[in-house]
Amino acid sequence: MSQTIRIGLLRLADSAPVLVAQERGLFARLGLDVAIAIEPSWSNLADKLTYGVLQAGVMLPPLVLAAAMGLRGPAAKVVVAMGLSQGGNTIVVGKRAAARVEAPQQPTGRMVLEWLRSYRIANGRPPRFAVVHRFSTHNLLLRYWLAAAGADPERDVETVVIPPEQVAAALADGRIEGFCAGAPWGDVAQAAGAGQILLGTSAVWPSHPEKCLALAEPWLEANPESARLLVRALLQAREICATPSEAPAIAALLGQEDGLALPADAALAVLPGGVAAETLAFLPGAAAYPSAAHAMWFLRQMRRWGWLDSRADLNAVSRRVYRSDVLDAEGVPPRPVADLPPCNNWDE
Amino acid sequence: MRVLLADDNAERAGALARVLAADPAISVVLVRAGELLADAVAAFCPDIVLVDMARPDRDALDGIRQVTARDPHPIVLFVDEDDPAFMEDAIVAGVSSYNVLGVPPPDVKPILRAAIALFRRHQEARASQTEAETKLHEREIVDRAKAILIKERRLGEPEAYRWLRKQAMTSGKRIAEIARSVVREKEGTSV
Repeated sequence: MSQTIRIGLLRLADSAPVLVAQERGLFARLGLDVAIAIEPSWSNLADKLTYGVLQAGVMLPPLVLAAAMGLRGPAAKVVVAMGLSQGGNTIVVGKRAAARVEAPQQPTGRMVLEWLRSYRIANGRPPRFAVVHRFSTHNLLLRYWLAAAGADPERDVETVVIPPEQVAAALADGRIEGFCAGAPWGDVAQAAGAGQILLGTSAVWPSHPEKCLALAEPWLEANPESARLLVRALLQAREICATPSEAPAIAALLGQEDGLALPADAALAVLPGGVAAETLAFLPGAAAYPSAAHAMWFLRQMRRWGWLDSRADLNAVSRRVYRSDVLDAEGVPPRPVADLPPCNNWDE
Repeated sequence: MRVLLADDNAERAGALARVLAADPAISVVLVRAGELLADAVAAFCPDIVLVDMARPDRDALDGIRQVTARDPHPIVLFVDEDDPAFMEDAIVAGVSSYNVLGVPPPDVKPILRAAIALFRRHQEARASQTEAETKLHEREIVDRAKAILIKERRLGEPEAYRWLRKQAMTSGKRIAEIARSVVREKEGTSV
């Protein structure tokens, strides 16, 4: 048990469970020696998991699936052991666009569509939207939302990839017209006056799976007991993160200068019980279960946009990558999957 | 062959550009400060992109092929499936390489090898600098602890040092750690 487990994560509020487990001694209590690596990009995390430089990471589920299917390099041996968070992303547009599409409650699909089309006519190109990674929940949920509005995400918008910390500045100086990014960057952009939050991604898919714990498969095979203890500590950390009274302490932890250095006010606003338009959820217990139905939703969306070989056996991929056996061994019951989205937030 | 180099460390980027430029078959362009990686790729149309892994905008290259309709270059991470150790070397050194326009050019590996060597040398230089700074900092803390002991316990300087050394020996800790706890106790700050 003396071998150090290196866990990679990014500067995001939903990295909290790993930071909390480390700071409250939940790993140490179980005899785990954990080192946290703050990575500057999702690509770094994926590469380091692929080549065994990291044993675990706080990851985007679609990126784990894409890496395992060889869509970004060699087919990586990475698996999803548990979910870490739900929701927390926001779809944000610049001020001028907001004036056109904003409605008292939710923007309607027709308003969004009219704005996209009129923007293209006025500017000779479609509006540019940033996402944090091509194989991200953000990109898939943004595309789902646009398509549900009647738009063609390939034609009616141009999608670019910009790191979340830079989206507010990119929106302010007009390099992009909108974005979908994780907490707290939507609130940061809105507070800075760069744009307006149109909706949270929980409006597209209530309690959608967001970050997950990815493991390097060779490490999991060689260290099943350590992997069990790792998820046990993170299940405990999720309970803490889900407790609103813990939010101030967790926001302070996320704001630590020698750690993630997130804006502490914005972090507090997006934690459970916070005042942000879209808050993160760390639903305890069974909500951490890596359901094959969730994997299938992401895979079907990736196929919808033509990113997958049409002959790929998606059921086999979801079974191989979503490894529920680690949580099964911990006695966590499978989560009944209820609410996969049909997008029903349009008032028309 | 056109090589785009994305490295905000001007010294390292310059050194690598000089090494590569020694080969007349290679032309090198550096990504300008503040320029987005995807924009630089669109503007220069390189065959190979070498990227400092510390760059946060590296994600823009991951699967760019279908993302941007206006920029149809397929970009793939250079991987040598027969040589995972080589790939790990590159990751640990902090440099990655992408091939543009499908087929990998035959001579990517020597270019990446040169980049790995330079990145690794830079990493070692930085590590030894950090070590030197730590040593300097520790000496300063020992001096502060000695000053506290001289004042509080009315010891001479040699006695103060001997006291620190004795504490270190009996507790199995380093002198700097003992000094740090003396300073922390006195000044109530973390050092």
